[in-house]
Amino acid sequence: MPEGPNRTLKNPVTVTIDGRQIVGEAGANLLQLALDNGVAIPHYCYHPKLSIDGSCRMCQVKIERAPKLAIACNTPITDGMVVDTQAEEVAEARRGVMELLLLNHPLDCPICDQAGECYLQDYSFGYGRQESRTTSPRRKGVKRHPIGPRVLFDEERCILCRRCVRFTAEISETEELRVFGIGDHSHIGTVPGRPLDNPYSINTADVCPVGALLSKDFHHKRRVWFLEETESVCSSCSNGCNIKIGVFRNEIQRLLPRRNDDVNETWMCDAGRLRYAFAHDETRIRHASLGGREIASNGASAAAATADALAEAANRLRAAIDAHGAKSVGVIASGGLTNEECFRLAALVRDRMGTPNVDVAVPMGDSDDFLIRPDKTANARGARDMGLAPGEGGLDVAGMISGAAAGAVKALWVIGSGDLEATTEAEALQAALANVETLILQDTNRSSLTAHAAVVVPGLVWAEKDGTFTNHAGRVQRIRKALVPPAGSMADGEIFARLDALLQGQAPASVAFDARATLGEIASKVAGYAGVSFGSVGSHGAKPEAETPAAESASAASPPAGAA
Amino acid sequence: MAVRVVKVDRDSLARAAGPFAARAILTGLRVTSRHFFRNLWGWIVGKPTIATVMYPEQDLVKPPAFRGMPVLVEMDGGKERCVACGLCEWACPVDCIYIVPGETEDAIERYPRVFDIDMGRCMYCGLCEEACPEEAIVMSDRVEISAFSREGTLWHKKDLLVPVDDLSRRLSHIRREYDRERVPPNPIATENEGRE
Repeated sequence: MPEGPNRTLKNPVTVTIDGRQIVGEAGANLLQLALDNGVAIPHYCYHPKLSIDGSCRMCQVKIERAPKLAIACNTPITDGMVVDTQAEEVAEARRGVMELLLLNHPLDCPICDQAGECYLQDYSFGYGRQESRTTSPRRKGVKRHPIGPRVLFDEERCILCRRCVRFTAEISETEELRVFGIGDHSHIGTVPGRPLDNPYSINTADVCPVGALLSKDFHHKRRVWFLEETESVCSSCSNGCNIKIGVFRNEIQRLLPRRNDDVNETWMCDAGRLRYAFAHDETRIRHASLGGREIASNGASAAAATADALAEAANRLRAAIDAHGAKSVGVIASGGLTNEECFRLAALVRDRMGTPNVDVAVPMGDSDDFLIRPDKTANARGARDMGLAPGEGGLDVAGMISGAAAGAVKALWVIGSGDLEATTEAEALQAALANVETLILQDTNRSSLTAHAAVVVPGLVWAEKDGTFTNHAGRVQRIRKALVPPAGSMADGEIFARLDALLQGQAPASVAFDARATLGEIASKVAGYAGVSFGSVGSHGAKPEAETPAAESASAASPPAGAA
Repeated sequence: MAVRVVKVDRDSLARAAGPFAARAILTGLRVTSRHFFRNLWGWIVGKPTIATVMYPEQDLVKPPAFRGMPVLVEMDGGKERCVACGLCEWACPVDCIYIVPGETEDAIERYPRVFDIDMGRCMYCGLCEEACPEEAIVMSDRVEISAFSREGTLWHKKDLLVPVDDLSRRLSHIRREYDRERVPPNPIATENEGRE
């Protein structure tokens, strides 16, 4: 019985790889077919999202009735093709290729950032000779050359697979990188005056199979084998590129794109990749404060302080509502909240506070027609779907700010001040802050609002939460907790649950926030989210409206073995 | 329930053992006094005949295979050989090594900005030394790690550096031990000049 994916093929053909019969589409790439079916064929220059180059010669296989070994990456499959990847001559060819690639490759793995995820290391171990036979000196080249503002180039390590050249030609379409010189003098370089400076430049470091192109941000930062990687989604715009968060000792070391053909293929933009320091930097709010004074410093007392701050916040909100009516209270949420948190918040605002003044601050910025979206917040669409929009006669963000300046809005509850700062002009914001009676801030980082806040409650950054984001196209994607939050801080969902209890006059004890259960509620109550659960969303997300079952689309999007 | 009672005549046992016990004591005294006088004589004539070392005034010369606390090899010029590759950190079974890499302008661009070993945890297994590709961390003959606080058992880079000349016996021992004699001591210490 031939094996193969459960997909309908237009023109199925059967090839035999190492004695296994595999069905594929006629003309499909032999290397990709093998990788998809768990046959390991070593390769450097082949990348599933780039054109075929055929320069590394590492993927040579023996094909029956072919005059000599053929490179699998440039061989379309035909019916009855019989392929041998384990023949002795294939092994010998691989050894030869490895020896030639290593002729000029420096032995500086101990100081190379790629070590641990380096194709050359892995294949040298798996397919190369253990001994070097050459006595001639290795070629010299530029080391640590800043080939662009965010990428370093090490010419000696380059094996000229030209993945980066093809990336800049085909994906970023900026064509900064070229191969200069011929033969043994070939090297990658840029034209003078045109450094590798495009919004996607660090992807060249990702596609580089060796340590020739390196991300400056991650340079000499941490060994990759110490990183704990958590699958998540980028929080920097509404595209929702799938990422892996690399964490060491509870600190984010880097973000890497994760393959999802429906969202970001295997790429992500530099801006999103480099935006994670706010989770750890000195502006991070770690303690609750009242009237600009921290009420505790660490441990259990910090949790007690957060609880005290929440009680104070509830009192002030209740006082404003009682004195001036529900419309005197405004809630400005951030697009950084998960769907589950937004759902809880919307219910709290609608049912408990009774104010129609609720909106999400969505900062706008640059965009392009590839991955970068103009709305610079991860979950603006999800927040709106959950009902975080001005109700009947309610004010939007600008309305609440001008209302606060005019004195109509007495109490403002701002969740995530960064987005509000980015969407509102500084003078208007300062006027509002000067006039508003009570500012309650639930925030991750200090901003111009922090000093004005009567109550500050520490919030969590996206890497500290579990939940889902809905991207601009309505795709629901999972974010996972990669970091342990600061001591004493509470999940935003728990804050909402506690406030809900406090505003009802109940004791806020033991109200935990369960994102999984909340998503179940969302699935049954929110239009367009029917059937959504952590299981259906999986690691690659799902569109609730789509007719295909989520599980199938997730498996179709899962990366094939060996894909970078 | 019937209980069998045995009466032991301890006095007669002691009487019987007495001569033997006295003999054993005398034998012991003889051995001790022999050593005492022999050592006394050795001390008088300046030729010690005993293995006892007058620690801490004197220190034992340990064989090169001895594994004391791990130290960092300090090259001429006061710099460490370590390039912060992290292999020892990874190999360490008790997780007592902590490294923060940094970058320099030297030809070898990487160095440990922080290199801490928690000697309170170290179990002297020597796996760090075996993993090291640069011969930068070796097991020395030092054993004095006592401290008055937990912080005191955390050794930092400046405490761990030992001049390479003081470690030559151990270095040649591990080259033999790990069959590394053909490998140059520092494979990346080549000139890394640019093309231009």
